[in-house]
Amino acid sequence: MTRSVILETRGLTKAFGGLVAVNKVDLTVEAGKIIAIIGPNGAGKTTLFNLVTGVHPVSSGEIYFQGALLNNVPAYKRASLGIVRTYQHVHLFENMTVLENVMSGRHARSSYGFLEAAFRLPKAHREEESISLNAIKYLNLVGLGAYAEHDALSLPLGQQKLLAIARALATEPRLILLDEPGAGLNTLEKRQLSDLIRNIREMGISVILVEHDMPLVMGIAEWVIVLDSGQKIAEGTAAQVQKDPKVIAAYLGEEVE
Amino acid sequence: MLARLTSKWSYLAIAVLFALLMLVPFNWFLGHYTTLAIFIGIYTIVTVGLCLLMGYTGQVSLGQAAFFGMGAYISAILSKTYGVNPWLAMLIAAVMTGAFAYIIGYPIFRLRGNYLAMATLGLGLIMWVLFRELGRFTGGPDGMTGIPSLSIAGFVFNTPFRRYFLVWFFCLAVLLISQNIVRSRTGRALRAIHGSEAASESIGINVDQFKVKILVLSAVYASIAGSLLVYHLRFVSPQLFDFLASVRLVVMAVIGGLASVWGAIFGAGATRILSDELLLRFGQWDIVVYGLILMLVMIFMPEGLFVRLKELYERLRLRYKRREA
Repeated sequence: MTRSVILETRGLTKAFGGLVAVNKVDLTVEAGKIIAIIGPNGAGKTTLFNLVTGVHPVSSGEIYFQGALLNNVPAYKRASLGIVRTYQHVHLFENMTVLENVMSGRHARSSYGFLEAAFRLPKAHREEESISLNAIKYLNLVGLGAYAEHDALSLPLGQQKLLAIARALATEPRLILLDEPGAGLNTLEKRQLSDLIRNIREMGISVILVEHDMPLVMGIAEWVIVLDSGQKIAEGTAAQVQKDPKVIAAYLGEEVE
Repeated sequence: MLARLTSKWSYLAIAVLFALLMLVPFNWFLGHYTTLAIFIGIYTIVTVGLCLLMGYTGQVSLGQAAFFGMGAYISAILSKTYGVNPWLAMLIAAVMTGAFAYIIGYPIFRLRGNYLAMATLGLGLIMWVLFRELGRFTGGPDGMTGIPSLSIAGFVFNTPFRRYFLVWFFCLAVLLISQNIVRSRTGRALRAIHGSEAASESIGINVDQFKVKILVLSAVYASIAGSLLVYHLRFVSPQLFDFLASVRLVVMAVIGGLASVWGAIFGAGATRILSDELLLRFGQWDIVVYGLILMLVMIFMPEGLFVRLKELYERLRLRYKRREA
């Protein structure tokens, strides 16, 4: 069986002035897996996401997505390549309904523009129909179908996070990056989230998540990567990583000889 | 389903509105209300563009009078000085203004928030100075008179009554097109940019490009309105496009509710009626009243007066229904 690699970084580095947030990180992410990136605050986890999704330009090193160099691809083009993310601070479109948020997620998978919209040409009608059908599909997938016409911000935080995931899934990604999806959720919501993430993997989408909630990570992650001060200090299965002295030291703040 | 139903309703609303507007000039036959209605139509066109730019996309423009004035002056100069057909002049003005907006769009949208507001303010001031100082072309501070009228196959739009229909034909076309844009993939992208630029990029929206495109559209609207204005007044002067003109345009958009295409008629209407009927004797001091209105609306009903009134109507209707049941 050949193992296909969906994401690879080589010597990936990001410096903000004198601060090196991500320092020569080499990652190889296998397709179709749930990968967790953990590490103490300031370890560079979110910066790593920002590099992969194009929010920040890379200082040095390379990022490959499905074998193709990603460095100079503008952020907005990465969604159509198949990379999408959610944000720690949800970033819903608060001026829209729940359904419209997910419909926005179809942007990269539709193409009609100003002219077709202005004069309601057949292409606009055709695409609009498929946009709303797909949006409803993804909304149902995360269990928010009943709230389609609600204002996005009227949902409680847990459901807002699910909505952000639905919007991301609507772009039909090959790889989804979830930035602290569990933060602020209660136990029940976390269980639903775990089920949803497994479900996403079943759809053939690779998942990388940054998460502080260790039980959540240990429950679903098939591979765990540990960052500390911008460097990769360990990786392995959840059980292996937990026993790694360097990881324990990083979390407890001890020096390793 | 719901979307289809509401869009059917809005088409009905458009039809009713159109019929009503057609009746207005007959009621005050050739009176001074026809002229007022012409101004409302012209300013509605500019306001709709501003609503798309500010209300939907969240990009402030304090210099919209620049595009308005470009449309006016290019039409005036081409049709009067160079004898170009007025329709062609209007088209050239729209294309040139749109191209100008496109060229300044990318650098200007490197700025956000207050900085963008200041840059657009500067744009408005620069254009105003150019209108005044390029006297060889523009007639300087005195402006130009004797601008020809529009005509179609020998039918000349030389009375207010005729121009009323012309202006409102353009106005309704602009409203309809804008409404279609708002309720589309493009409209969602614009609102998404307003909601969160970061999230917009992550789902594949080319944020910079959409901002520039909507600036171009709003500039073209303003240019068309400017051309209609000079063909109506048959006169142009820089005063029509000074900084206060830009502020008045923002007030119109705010009163109408920034994120509401149809509110633009209400905003432009209320503001023009206030200017032309109630505050006429105060001259330029009307801006003080506008400033006050702007503050009150922003503090007490940031969604706009029009949107608030609509809500009030809905609430009353529900209460009435409940009482009946």
